Amino acid sequence: MHEFSLAGEVIRLAETEAEKNSARSVNEITIEVGDFSGVQVEAFRSALEILSEKSRLSKASLNIIRKKGKGICPDCKQEFEMEERIDTCPVCGAFPSEISGGYEFRVVSLLVDKD
Amino acid sequence: MCETCGCGNKDGYRIVDPGSEEFQHDHDHHGVHSHSHTHDTDHDHPHDHTHHETISLNIDILSENNLAASLNRRFFEGRKVLCMNMVSSPGSGKTTILEKTISLLKGKKIYVIEGDQQTTLDAERIKNTGAHAIQINTGSGCHLDAKMVDAALKKMDIEADSILFIENVGNLVCPAMFDLGENKRVLVMSVTEGEDKPLKYPNMFETSHLCIINKSDLLPYVDFRKEEFIKNALQINPHLEFIDLSSKTGEGMNKWHEWISALFKLI
Repeated sequence: MHEFSLAGEVIRLAETEAEKNSARSVNEITIEVGDFSGVQVEAFRSALEILSEKSRLSKASLNIIRKKGKGICPDCKQEFEMEERIDTCPVCGAFPSEISGGYEFRVVSLLVDKD
Repeated sequence: MCETCGCGNKDGYRIVDPGSEEFQHDHDHHGVHSHSHTHDTDHDHPHDHTHHETISLNIDILSENNLAASLNRRFFEGRKVLCMNMVSSPGSGKTTILEKTISLLKGKKIYVIEGDQQTTLDAERIKNTGAHAIQINTGSGCHLDAKMVDAALKKMDIEADSILFIENVGNLVCPAMFDLGENKRVLVMSVTEGEDKPLKYPNMFETSHLCIINKSDLLPYVDFRKEEFIKNALQINPHLEFIDLSSKTGEGMNKWHEWISALFKLI
């Protein structure tokens, strides 16, 4: 459900940048979403579609870059990929001492039309 | 549709001081702003001169909330207010804990911000204990955000050297993402829930500082495996602290009181 408020934030951010850059419309918006970010991608996509209807993003395509979860092993200090938050180091079997990836949720870029 | 909370109601969230009829609606609905311009050209044939451009941003989508949360945090620091964000599933017993806690903390200035989708029932319960309470109704929204808290703070006139509890909307998913500017996040779990909750809802366990294991008086009657629960929670967050508590029998209330008092001395 919070995907609606997140989509609202994205539209505000994109509108501000489009305005600053005197862009007429946004053709494409690229967003990074980490697997552990708590964002449900399909719900976010629908929310953005609904909320952007009358904005400069109304015709924008949404390009989502999924970022894998990553953790640092406390024993071998290596970074390893994680499917789930409870995954352990494939070599040592230890729980990660630090989560080094998967929490991303940011607007990377906008492709805009200018006059 | 309201883009702050996703609700169908165009009024979005509202802030209510129970007992007063006045309420405030505190977000702007940004309509689309259209803009037009004319071209001063010295030729009159139409032509397409649109060009494309990529704007690099790399902006955290929660940055606006995080900024508002930082401002709230500064406000708390400046006034020496200890702020705790109470999160849980619905029905874990947050409001009852707060009622008991307020009487335990007698002599201290206590404020409560209540977050619920509808009604001022919780804020009324808290007001009956003598504490100052204000209700945020989120409409269909599933969480509180830092701007809603800021709007509530503006209505409260919080005195220095006080304690503020924010009772978040009962939901283990969405509130985890939204920093409100609190000093500590307190997660209330009841023993009628499953011991696998930390694995199912890791974000909330990861971002919390204390976990109250509530309704501990029911432990002999339910299948809740406490050791397993604690093991699961520590896998997600090795720094999480735990207090067993029963609002009914009073078990753990002293420990909880000490936990709050120790923090209060530090701020």
